[in-house]
Amino acid sequence: MRANHMARTTRAALVAPLALALAGCIGERQTDTVQVGYRGVALEQNYTRGDVQKQFAQVKIPKTLAPAGASPPGPLPWQNVQVLNDISVAEFNRTMIAMSTWVAGTGNCAYCHNVANFASDTLASGKPLYTKVVARRMLQMTRQINGQYSAHVKNTGVTCYTCHLGKPLPNGLWFYSSQNDYLRHYLDRDGARVVSQTVAPSNANRSSVKQTEWTYSLMISQSKSLGVNCTYCHNTRQFASWTQAPPQRVTAYYGIQMMRDVNSNYLSPLQSVYPAVRLGSMGDAPKAQCITCHNGNYKPLYGAQMAKHYPAIWGRADWNGAPFPGITPSIAATPAPAPGTAPVVAPATGAAAGAPGTAPAGGGLR
Amino acid sequence: MLEYQNLFTRVQVRTVPEAGIQIENADNRMGTGWFSYLAGKFGDAQIGPIYLGTAGTLSLLCGFIAFEIIGLNMWASVGWDPGEFIRQLPWLALEPPPPSYGLRIPPLAQGGWYLMAGFFLTMAIGLWWVRTYRRARALNMGSQLPWAFASAIFLYSTFFIQPLLVGSWSEMVPFGLFPHLDWTSAFSIRYGNLYYNPFHALSIVFLYGSAVLFAMHGATILAVARVGGEREIEQITDRGTAAERSMLFWRWTMGFNATMESIHRWAWWFAVLTTFTGGIGILLTGTVVDNWYLWGVKHGLVAAYPAANVLTPEQQQLLRGRYQGTAPDTFPAYPPYSASMTRPALAAEEIAPVINAQNIADSLAAAGRVSIRAIYFDVGAENSRPESDEQYREIVTFLSQNPASRVSIVGHTDNAGDAASNDSLSNARAAHVRSTLISSYAVDSTRVEGTSGMGSRQPAVPNTTPQGRRANRRVELVSATPRNP
Repeated sequence: MRANHMARTTRAALVAPLALALAGCIGERQTDTVQVGYRGVALEQNYTRGDVQKQFAQVKIPKTLAPAGASPPGPLPWQNVQVLNDISVAEFNRTMIAMSTWVAGTGNCAYCHNVANFASDTLASGKPLYTKVVARRMLQMTRQINGQYSAHVKNTGVTCYTCHLGKPLPNGLWFYSSQNDYLRHYLDRDGARVVSQTVAPSNANRSSVKQTEWTYSLMISQSKSLGVNCTYCHNTRQFASWTQAPPQRVTAYYGIQMMRDVNSNYLSPLQSVYPAVRLGSMGDAPKAQCITCHNGNYKPLYGAQMAKHYPAIWGRADWNGAPFPGITPSIAATPAPAPGTAPVVAPATGAAAGAPGTAPAGGGLR
Repeated sequence: MLEYQNLFTRVQVRTVPEAGIQIENADNRMGTGWFSYLAGKFGDAQIGPIYLGTAGTLSLLCGFIAFEIIGLNMWASVGWDPGEFIRQLPWLALEPPPPSYGLRIPPLAQGGWYLMAGFFLTMAIGLWWVRTYRRARALNMGSQLPWAFASAIFLYSTFFIQPLLVGSWSEMVPFGLFPHLDWTSAFSIRYGNLYYNPFHALSIVFLYGSAVLFAMHGATILAVARVGGEREIEQITDRGTAAERSMLFWRWTMGFNATMESIHRWAWWFAVLTTFTGGIGILLTGTVVDNWYLWGVKHGLVAAYPAANVLTPEQQQLLRGRYQGTAPDTFPAYPPYSASMTRPALAAEEIAPVINAQNIADSLAAAGRVSIRAIYFDVGAENSRPESDEQYREIVTFLSQNPASRVSIVGHTDNAGDAASNDSLSNARAAHVRSTLISSYAVDSTRVEGTSGMGSRQPAVPNTTPQGRRANRRVELVSATPRNP
């Protein structure tokens, strides 16, 4: 009798957790497993269906503006246009309208401009319009990313919206802090390799477990930024091996190169332009990391094709075969202003005179 | 009374606590013992008498010191906030010294506390071993217990012997719940995957083997407890029906069986070898083998799979060569513009006139140089203040209106500080102005030719007042000879 009773108790004790475990598996919690490497070696990505659906639904792509129409005849009317001086008036205006939605979020010109004098970099009061100066630099940066880092952004490219998502401040901006020192790899820390290339120890690699943990932190931040696990980029039996790694590792590698360029040549130097409220506790400018663009998705905006519709931010001579519809920047060629008129500030950048697609960034930065 | 003889009895005896045997010397046990109903649910209901002795007392003291050092350091790391201490406790750590210290003695906050905690923890464990050994001997027992404990201590000790052998404190295991688990992961990655370390594999074999033996033995004895199986040792010499049944069971199912005596030797050796082989695996890591995966490749341990990435060795080398060097043992210092957040606004008398584009052009044409005072530098600072924006813009305007002109920049300091540091500071100021023009104001780098610094050798005004010193912290634009006149 006792044995029977015990068996019943045991059965009940087993059934309850099993039922709970089963309940956890159905519906939105279902996990999809995607194989990303050779069979049988656990090179796979796991996605929780409900989470992915929710994330996907959150991605809102702004409507593409109608293509630019014909521009008025005559020389370009711009004053103080330093970056977008190689496109038509109509394309220029179209780009400005798109940017107001992408960044200011309200279609609000006054976020960057003195609406009484659009050419001015200051308000009527003389207060500097830092947003305009930053936006100008960000346009150069966007051209640099699309033009020079096709190994990372491929033919999808980036627009202001990729990071800004309609908000003035993108996600994941970081400042100097001992808590996130590992992000210095995206700026000025050289070298993340900790695994030796030889069986026996040598002085070529004296990295300790500590360096490994720093690199580990960097890698985990990338994994979180993309919503993927280690095997998205590595065969984890040997993290250091390039041949065993999925091809995404090479893409990610160029991404690190890109972040270093973006942070050290575009974002950090804007420190002197920002008001104190935009700076970190050590007085440094906000800087970007992977999550700034990726926002937890393996491809930003799940690979939505936005950049191809906006040649002003291409930085390339052609986009997927479509040639850059640019014009020769005439004002840069004739810098002497007529006496008595407001001085036309000719761009001082090397890029202004350069053909589109060649070094679109400000001169002297590379 | 049948139930009392069973291992799993529900009867708890309440009588005078069992005092145990008398031993010859140093029999200073504490108390006479008492009963715990709860303890009786799991094992014997009697608690005590206990024996602490010198080694035990010192061990507890050392353990307490280590515990306090670790706990207080963790608490300090959250700014002594009790709530945060509890909330973040699983992630808090007392970390070993950073790798830049090698085996040198670091300051307290840079791992000095860690080394102290490690010393006291090691003392505590060592003294506890002494106590275990002495008590076993005092009771005229064998020393199997202390030696099994010693095997575990051997594994523990490799976590500071291996760092000593490879020459870096930073290899050591952090004190902390998740941090010490993170360490195991990082240690394995650093040394090319411990999975391929054969001693690591052996250790796992013995660990899992211990669990299997424990389960098999425990289950066997419980299963024959109704026929007296819990009196195992008795059955070693006087084999009864319990032993006969259990041994026949294993012969039926496995063809082979342990004896009532040998099963305990199996279990002891499996347990002892778990930590012993593990410790050897740690000692070989970083000292003899730096990458276990490659060691496995060399010795045919690693299964080959088709390459996922089609990269030539040259391409791989390229990927390794750019940026991805061996990780340095420190982080770069933070750039020194932290003062920008706290500095007060410029006083009215400190504001200098902005020299407009036309005046810059005129001065350069007439004198070949123009002194710029509205790019402001704080004392000792090489970066300009944000109020300098207007003057920068005038320089940009000048450069765009005069596309043929090129300038170089000369930095100056006031007379505070020594000449050598003023020279380097004036150089840095000139370089900062140049890089600001290029990176923040999109000036073509060829338009600003070079920079130099004059230190405090050329004051514009006497350095006798704060205003005078402010005016001397300046840069000059000097007309540079066009390359193609």
